[in-house]
Amino acid sequence: MAALVDPPDPGRTEPDLLPSSMRQPIYLDHAATTPVRREVFEAMEPFYGPRFGNPSSTHRWGRDARAALDDARERLADCLGAHPSEVFFTSGGTEGDNAAIVGPYLAVRGTGKRAVVTTPIEHKAVLGAVHFAQAQGAEERILAVSSVGVVDRGSYDALVRPDVAVVSVMWVNNEIGVVQDIPALAAIAKSRGVLFHTDAVQGFGKVPIDARAVPFDLLTFSGHKIGAPKGIGGLYVRQGTPCEPLLHGGSQNRGLRPGTENVAAAVGLARAAELAIAEREAEMRRLGAMRDRLERVIRERIPDAVVNGGGGPRAPHILSVSVPGTDSESMLMALDLAGVACSSGSACTSGSVDPSHVLAALGTPRELAVSAVRMSLGSLTTDEAIDRVAELFPALVDKARRLAGAAA
Amino acid sequence: MSGARGRVLAAMSGGVDSSVAAALLAEQGYDVIGATMKLFCYGDHVPDRPCCSLDSIDDARRVCERIGVPHYVLNLESAFGRDVIENFVSEYAAGRTPIPCVRCNTFTKFRDLLRKADALECDWIATGHYARASGGELWRGADPAKDQSYFLWGIDRAVVRRMLLPVGALTKPETRRRAHALGLDVVAEKRESQDICFVPDGDHTAVLARRLGPDAPALSRGPIVDSAGRVLGEHEGYARFTVGQRRGLPGGSREPLYVVAIRPDTREVVIGPRAELLGSGVIARDVNWLVDAPPTVGAHVHVQVRHRAPAAPAEIVRAGDGEIELALDQPVAAITPGQSLVMFDGDRVLGGGLIAASRAALPILAA
Repeated sequence: MAALVDPPDPGRTEPDLLPSSMRQPIYLDHAATTPVRREVFEAMEPFYGPRFGNPSSTHRWGRDARAALDDARERLADCLGAHPSEVFFTSGGTEGDNAAIVGPYLAVRGTGKRAVVTTPIEHKAVLGAVHFAQAQGAEERILAVSSVGVVDRGSYDALVRPDVAVVSVMWVNNEIGVVQDIPALAAIAKSRGVLFHTDAVQGFGKVPIDARAVPFDLLTFSGHKIGAPKGIGGLYVRQGTPCEPLLHGGSQNRGLRPGTENVAAAVGLARAAELAIAEREAEMRRLGAMRDRLERVIRERIPDAVVNGGGGPRAPHILSVSVPGTDSESMLMALDLAGVACSSGSACTSGSVDPSHVLAALGTPRELAVSAVRMSLGSLTTDEAIDRVAELFPALVDKARRLAGAAA
Repeated sequence: MSGARGRVLAAMSGGVDSSVAAALLAEQGYDVIGATMKLFCYGDHVPDRPCCSLDSIDDARRVCERIGVPHYVLNLESAFGRDVIENFVSEYAAGRTPIPCVRCNTFTKFRDLLRKADALECDWIATGHYARASGGELWRGADPAKDQSYFLWGIDRAVVRRMLLPVGALTKPETRRRAHALGLDVVAEKRESQDICFVPDGDHTAVLARRLGPDAPALSRGPIVDSAGRVLGEHEGYARFTVGQRRGLPGGSREPLYVVAIRPDTREVVIGPRAELLGSGVIARDVNWLVDAPPTVGAHVHVQVRHRAPAAPAEIVRAGDGEIELALDQPVAAITPGQSLVMFDGDRVLGGGLIAASRAALPILAA
């Protein structure tokens, strides 16, 4: 299957430092972001043109925009197995995670539910929201995870008690790809009267999501991970879930998220979600096969390479590899200069590579934690690209180790 | 298409000097890769600094975007903490006055950063220092008011061959003009960072207090004595003083008094008149040479014992085992343990070392 979108052109502003063997740079960082799909772009375009109305206006322009927004909400609801009144538009994953943790906490803390439970391997948006809740008086409880990142059931059982306001567990981890058993965890929370949120920013379009089948109360997803633009995301809030708004001042999104809706992006999000779900099974098979092939070659060529989260349940689009004797920073730069875009999984404000809190929580030895390289596959990934990376990565590792050996 | 002149890793602080350095090299046809070193935590303790702050990283990135080269941020925090900040603290605790920039050049820029350059297959490493590297040797910068060769004596000699220091041939005003001409207005008029980058508000004792604890001997009350051992007053911690300092000393004497020595084991700060500040000889350790044939005993060189001090003629009277002793033709004031001794032959840097002790011009009575 060919790439779903046009290949990127990131080199326009920089001179071409690529060796001649790398005719086309390779984007292997889909967990960071994805290009807007052409179908999505085309769906959005009229709303940057003649269909520019404010959906809250009563005139025909407003009605037209309102109709598009309602339509987008309905289609997203279909994607989630939800009712349209349960779907809210946000600015993205960070807002969704904050709203889904701080909102319920503020709503129920008066009833004696004052604890917030999460895992140590969440995205910083969840961890930051939990810290904020703690600053507002919440008791923070962190679940134990196994060495491959799976939430420990005993710890879950012990911490998720009826005094918990909300428990938040990410569906698919963004750094190592570990998939949690959300159906089981959500069911336990429900049985104890505890609100359950899942950050599905990396899971959406990768794992089956159905609000009718899985009793999560809140679910966060983001547009730009699935071919929609940056700056749009969705929050599912099950009917009847107590949730205070973070923003105030309007009735849009049923008052939970006031502010004139980003109609064009909402339409794009709906289109991208539909495509992601329609293509999910075939695309995950395609990515999984390529990921497994890449992983196999790396293991063969670098016998002491460690796949982070390896052996655990993993989503098919993420491969996190640590190689002793190398460091992420140098590997990422060398890969970039050779034309391959990867990530370490966690970058700080300054853009520097900092040790990963996820790998630390897994008990990963320091030598491996500082050498993690995350490759994430997606719409731009082709068999040819995987072949080239499978060739290049071990070669760069050899070079890095030779240099390290010479310096020691 | 690769630049004919090779690939260069340009260390970029976000200041005007390193920005112009990188831009000039790009203009000359090098394949430039910009790198900003993140050297310490941008935490609560360090408010906005002219150097090394997040803003500076942003500026360096903007410059790279402007000149069209890739930019990376390199996290060298733990190595910098160990090699530079910890040493800074232990030197003050030992009663000396360190120059962290020297160690940063030796260890961080021209060792750790160089390793990154190797990993990226860079032929060259560039900085915005006002010094010149030519023929495998290091020379003073063309602008005497800006010359920074004093801070570079400790680098590995083999590195000099791979150094590109393009602003070393310019004066500071020329550098600013070049910045404008290159379209780097974002940094062209940035003020200089005079302070030590990791020391907020020039208050080094705050850094010491955080690392040593507020009750550390270096920060605790001790006697101010004269060279005869008479107690003349009290001070609030010998780490607040450096040799040659007048600020914070008791007044009321006929002639101006200076710190002439610090004795950490007794916490004494020794003060005396200017004559006691003069040294006729200097002893340095951890000597590093930057020339093929280092001068030997009997050789006459020029030495600088402090940044911006004029070079003074001296003769090598002892050398070996990483130590060197020189006799100064004329006494020099305020030779300070922990500062650097740098030896020159005209504008050429011969080498240097860390000042361990001075020989007093006047005999100071033992305490």
